[in-house]
Amino acid sequence: MLLVENITKAFGGIRAVDSCSMGVERGSITGLIGPNGSGKTTLFNLITGFYQPDVGRIHFNDKPIHGLPPSRICHQGIGRTFQITRLFWKMTVLENMIVPVRQVGWRTLFSRGVKKHEEARALELLNLVGLTGYQDEEARKLSFGQQKLLEFAAVLMADPDLILLDEPAGGVNPVMIEKIIGLVEDLNRQGKTFLVVEHNMRLVMELCQHIVVLDHGQKIAEGKPATIQNDLLVLEAYLGSTNHADASA
Amino acid sequence: MKPSRVPAVIWMSGLLAALLVFPLVQRSQYYQHVMVMTMMAAVLASSWNIIGGYAGYTSLGHAAFFGLGGYLVALAHNHFGWHPFISTWFLGIVVMGVALILGWISLRTHGSAFVVVTIAMVFIFRIVALNLASITNGARGLTQPRPGWGGVPWSPELIKIPFHYIMLALLCLTVFASWRVRQSKFGLGLIAIREDEGKAEAVGIDTMLYKVLAFGLSAYFVGVAGGIYSYFFTYIDPQFIFDIFTGVTMVLIAILGGRGTLWGPVLGAFIMEPLGNWVIGVFGGTQIHLAVFGGILLAVMLFMPQGILPALTEFVKRRAKAPAAGRRSQSA
Repeated sequence: MLLVENITKAFGGIRAVDSCSMGVERGSITGLIGPNGSGKTTLFNLITGFYQPDVGRIHFNDKPIHGLPPSRICHQGIGRTFQITRLFWKMTVLENMIVPVRQVGWRTLFSRGVKKHEEARALELLNLVGLTGYQDEEARKLSFGQQKLLEFAAVLMADPDLILLDEPAGGVNPVMIEKIIGLVEDLNRQGKTFLVVEHNMRLVMELCQHIVVLDHGQKIAEGKPATIQNDLLVLEAYLGSTNHADASA
Repeated sequence: MKPSRVPAVIWMSGLLAALLVFPLVQRSQYYQHVMVMTMMAAVLASSWNIIGGYAGYTSLGHAAFFGLGGYLVALAHNHFGWHPFISTWFLGIVVMGVALILGWISLRTHGSAFVVVTIAMVFIFRIVALNLASITNGARGLTQPRPGWGGVPWSPELIKIPFHYIMLALLCLTVFASWRVRQSKFGLGLIAIREDEGKAEAVGIDTMLYKVLAFGLSAYFVGVAGGIYSYFFTYIDPQFIFDIFTGVTMVLIAILGGRGTLWGPVLGAFIMEPLGNWVIGVFGGTQIHLAVFGGILLAVMLFMPQGILPALTEFVKRRAKAPAAGRRSQSA
């Protein structure tokens, strides 16, 4: 469904993403892991059009999407959340849900901002993530965890096929993490594809069917969670040394 | 919002009725003049508010569109005999076209860089008007025939009245457009851009399109106002009409009344313009009115940073809540 081919992005002399290729299968939950600074978020920003790649191609549903602005990529059916939650803070929860509704043509541009059926759908999704009753609150008044849930729910309003989650469990309490896992699994069963960046290994191993590991902008491993857990390169990237492994070998 | 809908219709009809009868009741030419200028200030501030308030892009360059409208109308009047009261509505579309192009270029910048670029626009327009003397008559400016209709000039006693009504019509149109924008998907997108442009782009808002459209639309009414203005004074010159101060004034009025609100810019204009004229009347042609303007703005920024209208709304809401709570406790 998503195909990243040989992509490179450098900032000054640092290659944040270096000749990286990877793919996301339709209907899968794919994990993207790696130590801090390994290029995960940069890769997200490349896929969603926030950065333009220096080299390489990105295809989504067999169509090239590199070079498109983020709004167009969103219209193709890729939604994303941000590592540090980004909402329209002074707008209400409901308005935060309505802004992502996909618009087609000039006529809708000047049509009513919040339509009845959109509102109904927004309330349904708010209910799904457990934010019923908050629709008229300003987004900034929600708790940290609620803000994460709102951002997630708002992404669903655009009905994307592929959803990119950047650290969905970052700074969230264990109960909320369970809730997020449940939500992602449910949506996955309904046909949504996920690409998840996460540091919480328990969550990644539990949730993902396929894992891609980045280090220094390069893909160092790929496979099933069980395989990744025992991969020497991955252990080295995370733990910094292979001496122990060498000694026992 | 919902319970205040009925009173809103009442006070809006009241305001409209008052403005409709104003020149019939108030026969003083001076006050009629001040009222035309006040409504014009309300048009400029409301129109600026579409890009500056809703989308949060502080343009100090709208004087460029004001002047362009003025020049186009004056030239069309002098060369083709097009009556300004009719031509200004169409020539405003030309101004909008120019603004769409300039917006497409300038809206790539953000924050203070955008402010500087828009200031530069005013100077570019002024330099062009000064140096394109074969068309614009350069620094000597353009004069139009005395206002009238069908070759018959209006009598000097009644001359402000047609301007009053056309400016009122423009004000109604501007506020209506601003309201339509605010209610629409377009307006929601603009506010999202003001809140977090990157996020807006991420959720599928074509931010460039939205910003350019808002910029063009907000230039339209300013251009039309400039056209009426040039006929009102029957004389324009580059220094006078491409003036940074014109652009700054509409911004300050909008901020004073309540940036990003529908009625704030109108309220700001109805406070500042008469007050400014009064100060000029009392102190003569000094710069004191500027000091007063600055002082008021400072006070508003200190005590009601959102502007007068949002502060008032907040105050009324709190007052309404307090007695309601009291009543509830009594009945309990």
